[in-house]
Amino acid sequence: MSDRILCKFFVHGSCLKGEICEYSHDSKNPVNNVCTFYQKGICLYGSRCRYHHVTTTPASNLPPSPPLTSDSESESTNLQQQDNNDIEKSSNVYCIHPREYPICSFAAAGDCPRGNHCPHMHGDLCTTCGKKCLHPFRPEEREEHTKECEKKQKHIEALKQSQDIECSVCLDRILSKPTPGERKFGLLTECDHPFCIQCIRNWRSSAPVSGMDVNSTLRACPICRKLSYFVVPSVVWYSSPDEKKEIIDIYKAKLRSIDCKHFNFGNGNCPFGASCFYKHAYSDGHLEEVVLRHLGSQEGETVIADNLRLSEFLGGLQIF
Amino acid sequence: MQQSRARLFKEYKEVQREKVADPDIQLVCDDTNIFKWTALIKGPSETPYEGGVFQLAFAVPEPYPLQPPQVRFLTKIFHPNVHFKTGEICLDILKNAWSPAWTLQSVCRAIIALMAHPEPDSPLNCDSGNLLRSGDVRGFNSMASMYTRLAAMPKKG
Repeated sequence: MSDRILCKFFVHGSCLKGEICEYSHDSKNPVNNVCTFYQKGICLYGSRCRYHHVTTTPASNLPPSPPLTSDSESESTNLQQQDNNDIEKSSNVYCIHPREYPICSFAAAGDCPRGNHCPHMHGDLCTTCGKKCLHPFRPEEREEHTKECEKKQKHIEALKQSQDIECSVCLDRILSKPTPGERKFGLLTECDHPFCIQCIRNWRSSAPVSGMDVNSTLRACPICRKLSYFVVPSVVWYSSPDEKKEIIDIYKAKLRSIDCKHFNFGNGNCPFGASCFYKHAYSDGHLEEVVLRHLGSQEGETVIADNLRLSEFLGGLQIF
Repeated sequence: MQQSRARLFKEYKEVQREKVADPDIQLVCDDTNIFKWTALIKGPSETPYEGGVFQLAFAVPEPYPLQPPQVRFLTKIFHPNVHFKTGEICLDILKNAWSPAWTLQSVCRAIIALMAHPEPDSPLNCDSGNLLRSGDVRGFNSMASMYTRLAAMPKKG
């Protein structure tokens, strides 16, 4: 490894890595004195720069590491590759693949004051967000941005359409409520009538009046009286059944990742059992396995048996 | 408290805007108390109440719209589902079938509909209910229109 480059920290007498440094600690080795900024296009120090302003890398020296892969691991792999290719590449002019160049961040944010005279590469125009932020040589990044951008656009569009929707309980526009916590829709699973999450939850949890059938009043939609078993909070209103399904699925998935406080890692008893939306996992991480016990009732129908606990019998006992 | 007040205020504005739209209902809010309302409704046509104007008193509870308003007739009316003395109304949506999507305006409409379609099987006014249940529609109609003339029409002269 005689052709390693000299560690620049070692030259100044202060390399913290000591023996394990990937650069050479032998002062006979050449120093890499090429300015990487100049090679990439512009060096702010200009003629005052203490590094050499050359566009080609000296044959015996290593190319500057690409800007995006600066961690030591990739540097050392670069180093080995370079070792192998050294002989055939020694006279070649080193140039970085264009995909390694970063794009102008001003243009990507919307507008570059230098316009065509900018020394940096300007990205291609994204038609969705109208910014020059698509890297011309990184197809996967472009695709990701386009996807993300379209999703964002859709969300903004949905938000715009949701602005005028009123809650039938408080008669307010839901997205014009005073506090951010109130600016949420409560979706009913079985019908498409809009309410604020606060209003519909208040109504569903209000105390039933005597003679009231809970299923046809409190748990039903206040407008069409269709029975829904749960309410889904959402910041936007949907415009198609697919969007509604997506909102509900995301909500359910989120709840499934939260541990059920009734189940309490197997120490408690969840009244919702197998239909609980929350996670039923034991403290060692394995999930509860639900085995439903089916019983034939007297009428010949099949019913699902509840789990019985000894404490339920003992609790009812009266000891004299 | 704040919620019910905000909602009643919205309804008040809606009533002002809709005044022309529904000439059968005139909802008026008490000047000093937004929880007290009165309404004047016209008796539906082709019923013994036709031509009469009936006054309703609304008392809105604090948890409104989670609880229904208390409504009673101030004008005397001969109807199976209205108490003859107190004016109390037997209507499911004012009791156990209430829904917060109802408004004072829509309650008035429901009461007009109840006047046109009495439910003699759950009567508050037994005499009136019995007339209808025994099939004496003519007797019921003449009693009801007599009380409409007596109580719900402007006195002549």
